[in-house]
Amino acid sequence: MTLDSQSVLRAKDVRKTFVIPGGELEVLRGLNFSIREGVSASIRGESGSGKSTLLHLFAGLEGVDQGEISWGPDSINHWSPRKRAAERAVRLGLVFQAYHLVGEMTALENVLLAARIAGTVSAETRERARHLLDRVGLGNREKQMPGKMSGGERQRVAVARAILNNPPILLADEPTGNLDEKTGETTMELLLELVREQGVALVLVTHSRRFAGACDEQWVLHDGILEASAEA
Amino acid sequence: MPWYFHAALKQIFPSGKLLSFFAFISVTGVTLGVMVLLVVQSVMNGFVFDIQSNLAKTNGDIQIVSRAPIVGWEDWLENLEARPEVKAAAPLAHGVVMLQARNRPMFPYVWGLDLESGPEVLPFEDFLQSGTMDDLDDRSIFVSGGVARELTLGVGTEVAVYTPLMLDRMKVDEVIRPITMRVAGIFETGWNEVDSRTVVVTLRTMQELYGLGESVHGVVMKLEDGVDTAEYAGVLNAGLSEEYHAQTWMDVNSDFLFVLRLEKTMMFFIMIFIVLVASFSIAISLMMAVIRKTREIGLLSAMGASRFGIGACFCLQGFLIGTVGTILGIIGALVALHFRNNIFHLFAHLTGRGQALTDAYGFSYLPAHYIISDFIIVALFSIFVSTLAGLIPAWRAARLQPAEALRNDA
Repeated sequence: MTLDSQSVLRAKDVRKTFVIPGGELEVLRGLNFSIREGVSASIRGESGSGKSTLLHLFAGLEGVDQGEISWGPDSINHWSPRKRAAERAVRLGLVFQAYHLVGEMTALENVLLAARIAGTVSAETRERARHLLDRVGLGNREKQMPGKMSGGERQRVAVARAILNNPPILLADEPTGNLDEKTGETTMELLLELVREQGVALVLVTHSRRFAGACDEQWVLHDGILEASAEA
Repeated sequence: MPWYFHAALKQIFPSGKLLSFFAFISVTGVTLGVMVLLVVQSVMNGFVFDIQSNLAKTNGDIQIVSRAPIVGWEDWLENLEARPEVKAAAPLAHGVVMLQARNRPMFPYVWGLDLESGPEVLPFEDFLQSGTMDDLDDRSIFVSGGVARELTLGVGTEVAVYTPLMLDRMKVDEVIRPITMRVAGIFETGWNEVDSRTVVVTLRTMQELYGLGESVHGVVMKLEDGVDTAEYAGVLNAGLSEEYHAQTWMDVNSDFLFVLRLEKTMMFFIMIFIVLVASFSIAISLMMAVIRKTREIGLLSAMGASRFGIGACFCLQGFLIGTVGTILGIIGALVALHFRNNIFHLFAHLTGRGQALTDAYGFSYLPAHYIISDFIIVALFSIFVSTLAGLIPAWRAARLQPAEALRNDA
């Protein structure tokens, strides 16, 4: 991990504290992180160690108490929520454990939702959405409703959605957490293949040592700071 | 199309479905509210329109009346008929008589009709169910349907007529003898007020019954189409001396017309609560959706949706539900109004109280009159209230912190 100007995502001396009954809980204590384009990094940690919080800070969904988060050359600390939302739509892709597909939309419409929010829907994006669905093995399921898809299929739709806008950064929070081992493995392989193909920087939060080991860089969130994994 | 409009459309009309369940419930509420409101308004308008039309037909457009009987009314008629605004004018004499047939008495209103000029102003020929205008002479009488039923009269039967003048004669110990008249026709105007207790005799007979001599109680006139009745009454009053007064059919029935207008307005305000209740169902449905979809809302935020967009998505759902419900409500109202008389007769048949309904409401059918402005007001109000109902859920959704929403366990 280097704090260089080539980073697509950078966290510098980040601190985050939550108020809890009976006091305060300091989750992040001067955390530093950076990742370059096309590189994949995994973050492991115990439950409650602050992995999801860190991902939310990276995504600008929450503000840091101290320190700085930058997307490329731009610090997002002082951006308004509206500016963050607008930039997030084109610069970030997100994959969650619970897929979070919109139940009333077909698979294709769910993928295209990313482009709709970014305001970039066109014939090309439609074509790209179809291509991505095809790439994740759901080319013949584009009109399928999420309710009629398996967990693995839903997560693959969510992956296609996350990379539709060609974002330089993809944040994945336990993407295989709700899947069985075999499906999780297939999905993970697909995710890693896709980020390499698309040249996307992947930050993967996972409990799985195996999936973490498949990433270029491996980190462990411990005691509020990131440490290089001993298994790297 | 902005994403929030597309998302709102999908929430209401999900892919592969006609309508989502929650939207169906909400749309049904709005549809029923709008439908009932429009049906009631249109039927009320129909009643008002028919009553006004009958009032104008049976009262003439303008009556000139005096406290004392008017002598020399022929000159008045000549003068009035020479005016371009006046289509026809006729003398007016009216009062109350007692009819007796088979020892059953009744006290109907009586109108004296000048056979020459009267029918042009008061088109009784249109109302005759049996008999013709030619059958009316100085010893015959037209009776309304209600009178005929009450006294079991038919064309050709005889009826005894007593007048208030006879009471004066009784005071000087004269023996009073009723005038026997033959029923020459039976009429129905469609307005119960007239049909229940009215008889018509010739003007000469009326003058004889009331001892008017050659005088009359007033002059009634029919105006040319397009002449403003109230305005022209004002013009006439400006030229009349104090003892005379020109009054429109609206002035004569002002209390009744006020009650009609009040009734329509009150009915609107009562019925409007149906739409308000429907809007609450929209608000509750959308609020439930916000709670149910908290994580989805968090996801939208995470994907870059602005707070405005998220709020607009829910607000638009209220608007769409209101719009669809209103359109369906208007269609439903038009269908119900088209078949209103079938429904009315079915109801009368099932309850066996058709005549009671006619007696109570004065109509043997259900009138309806479509006023475009009523439809526009109801439609705009319904869509506005529905959109408003979406505002609170929209505000709540927009306020959700994305990180908290994503952590939500719901």
